[in-house]
Amino acid sequence: MPNHALIQHLQEAIGAEKVFTSLEDRIAYSYDGTFEQDLPDVAVLPESSEEVAAIVRLAGKHDVPVVARGMASGLAGASIPFGGGIALSLTRMNHILEIDEENHTAWVEAGVITADLESAVEKRGLFYPPDPSSNEQSTIGGNIACNAGGPRCLKYGVTGDYVMGLTVVLADGQILKIGGKAIKNVVGYDLNALFVGSEGTLGVITEALLRLTTKPRFVRTARAEFPALEDASRTVNAILDAGVVPATLEMMDETAITCIEEAMELGLPLDVEALLIIETDGSDEEAVLREIETVARVCRKSGAREVVVAETEEERERLWRARRSVSPSLARKAPNKLGEDITVPRSAIPEAIRRIKAISADYGLPIVIFGHAGDGNLHPNILFDKRNEEEWRMVERIVGEIFQVAMDLEGTLSGEHGVGTLKRPYIEQALGPLSLDVQRRIKEALDPRGILNPGKVLPGQ
Amino acid sequence: MTEPIDPPNHPPVERPAEDDYLHCIRCGLCLAVCPLYRLTLNETDSPRARVAVLRAVREGLIEEPSDDTAARFFRCLLCGACTFTCPSGVTVDRILELTRGEMSDQGLMPEPLVALGDRIAEGHNISGEPNENRLMWTDNLPSPPKGIGKERAEVVYFVGCVSAMFPRSYSVAQSFVELLEKAGVNYGLLGEREWCCGYPQAISGEPDRARKTMRHNVEAVRAMEAKTVVTTCPSCYHFWKHTYPAALEEEIDIDVLHATEFVADLLETDRLPLRDDLREQTVTYHDPCDLGRKSGVFDAPRRILAQIPNVTLVEMPENREGSHCCGGGGNLESLDPALSGAIAARRIQQAAETGAKTVLSACQQCERTLFSAARSERIRVRSKDIVELVLEATA
Repeated sequence: MPNHALIQHLQEAIGAEKVFTSLEDRIAYSYDGTFEQDLPDVAVLPESSEEVAAIVRLAGKHDVPVVARGMASGLAGASIPFGGGIALSLTRMNHILEIDEENHTAWVEAGVITADLESAVEKRGLFYPPDPSSNEQSTIGGNIACNAGGPRCLKYGVTGDYVMGLTVVLADGQILKIGGKAIKNVVGYDLNALFVGSEGTLGVITEALLRLTTKPRFVRTARAEFPALEDASRTVNAILDAGVVPATLEMMDETAITCIEEAMELGLPLDVEALLIIETDGSDEEAVLREIETVARVCRKSGAREVVVAETEEERERLWRARRSVSPSLARKAPNKLGEDITVPRSAIPEAIRRIKAISADYGLPIVIFGHAGDGNLHPNILFDKRNEEEWRMVERIVGEIFQVAMDLEGTLSGEHGVGTLKRPYIEQALGPLSLDVQRRIKEALDPRGILNPGKVLPGQ
Repeated sequence: MTEPIDPPNHPPVERPAEDDYLHCIRCGLCLAVCPLYRLTLNETDSPRARVAVLRAVREGLIEEPSDDTAARFFRCLLCGACTFTCPSGVTVDRILELTRGEMSDQGLMPEPLVALGDRIAEGHNISGEPNENRLMWTDNLPSPPKGIGKERAEVVYFVGCVSAMFPRSYSVAQSFVELLEKAGVNYGLLGEREWCCGYPQAISGEPDRARKTMRHNVEAVRAMEAKTVVTTCPSCYHFWKHTYPAALEEEIDIDVLHATEFVADLLETDRLPLRDDLREQTVTYHDPCDLGRKSGVFDAPRRILAQIPNVTLVEMPENREGSHCCGGGGNLESLDPALSGAIAARRIQQAAETGAKTVLSACQQCERTLFSAARSERIRVRSKDIVELVLEATA
């Protein structure tokens, strides 16, 4: 039943043109980048922190959940409104409020598209390093709420490492501002860190103050082709042992390569088991060149059949476009895919890949492996057809087994996608009961009535 | 931005959309390139949402489609940016065309499009005027074009409804026939024997009506024993070239060329002598969706510009396959002129940012939409069809 009183109050609070109630509109706000979905009762498109606060207050008054979202490209189900309530989209809060060239900061609204921020700061010679593959279809707010990573994390760190301040709407509708432009700040608890990765369960992030760096002036990108996957995964450590910290160190396996090639015809080799994409960057051209040469030498020594260094910006962009398209292009192989996000210590990568391939062989379902090999963050993607119940049951077992592999190798469930609902059943095993209890108490303190994105991250009691 | 890759193979008509929508994995890449979503920032206007609504119809979550359901399929430019970018190979614009048909069969076609389809079926053009008026654009030329009233011709210039019936766009057809005559091309005009190409009906979901008009046009060109049809309208071109053979289920033994391809050849074989005293000018070029992304014609207009002295081309960042629709696609203008205008405003802004004083296109619809946007936004960029520039440049 539609909640008429709630809808009317929302319309009065932020304007009827920002409130959407038809079944078709609710369908549009029912999904994210996974195969899960559930209908909200209403979707809203606020344009200021004050409007967000009004919405959250109304959610409290009517005792309905409020689920914040950006562009809903998440891969953990974190922004799906399970159980209805208000889908609160921050996409119209998309203004870059300030780029401070002296202090190297950007102050932005949560709905700014990550790629738009990247290009805006790069025009001024500055650089926002976090680079989720979804940079064109995800927002800064969503990146912070899920602490998104990306290829460049190996050298530059994840989204959370760039958050200096936040504006957050709390569960009672108060607007909290934390942090600031001072680089060192140890006054009180680090609340920025608390909200980073909280997936909309502790507050709604509406603005962020982000740290920038100067743009590296030189970049070299190499593609190394490995006939044996095992050699590719060993090479990752060999490169770092050689004293080079590449900006990125990405891996994709045979199936991933085939999918991209079918989708984009970029001329990738189809007869190798793995590709590494390795990039070095910096402000000294010679150093950058020297590093990529070292990388190429190490790759050849550890079994690469060929190493090609991109000569032009077009060639480089082509490689990155290929890497960014791996995940979406898997849909060519099967109607559904479940993309995992485990991390293991770097030295355990070859063993992790071996074990995951064995699981795939055991169940007879393809598992594609690609990811940020440099930081041990792998994305095994299980390909299946959800309409086939037997396959779906297998997938559920495979997920458990992949997590077990990660934990056995001293890794964890998620490196950059977040917990959402998909990994929620496994969180206790990953964190242990005491850590979980502390986290529950934090949630209860900030959202005593449980209206903020309920059912996410922390499992029910 | 999107880099050049081959345009996707638009499958021939009638490929069942049945399974295609299932391949959408909701990654959201289409949101980044959809001109409508980028304007409204409302998920409901995204290609991904349209596919989700279709899925809800198929799977019964929407038990009985309403006008509001149908609107999700009609409120779209069909510019194909999403289809082009989709790594899962979902042909969103094709799916929408077919679904518009389904909606129309259920009586859910929006009123302005019903009226448009009726006008074409009854009067054979989109304007509602009698089809005899198809040559009125020739009235104020210094002398009547040689192509009028011909029984036979090597080339038929298929003028298209807009350039033939809307005075605002007469100059496209006028400039093109002047070029044909300067180059001594043996061409003919169909006059009232030319009917609407059928595209507007097809994308409103009336394939049967569209087929009737297609059949007529093919017969009319065959009657002239012409080997080649050339169009200035990219939509006529796209439809003739890529849809006619499949929809009519036959090989069509007629070469279909767009005016840009035809003129590029004339220039490169020195059949159109050019002035050398043309003033220095900087232009940008807007790739029409039907010509570029949907038909793969990117080079011909650029080859033309390379031939014209004193003209410098500066590209907009969103060019070629990544071109941003002018706002005039998909019959959206008939449904929501304000929305169409707002999208056009984005594009003219992009043109202005290049510093060019002229935005060229190769489409009378793009030309008109961009012209109106420049006016309403008070942006000092002239909008012109590329054949108009070529005519100015000829000796």
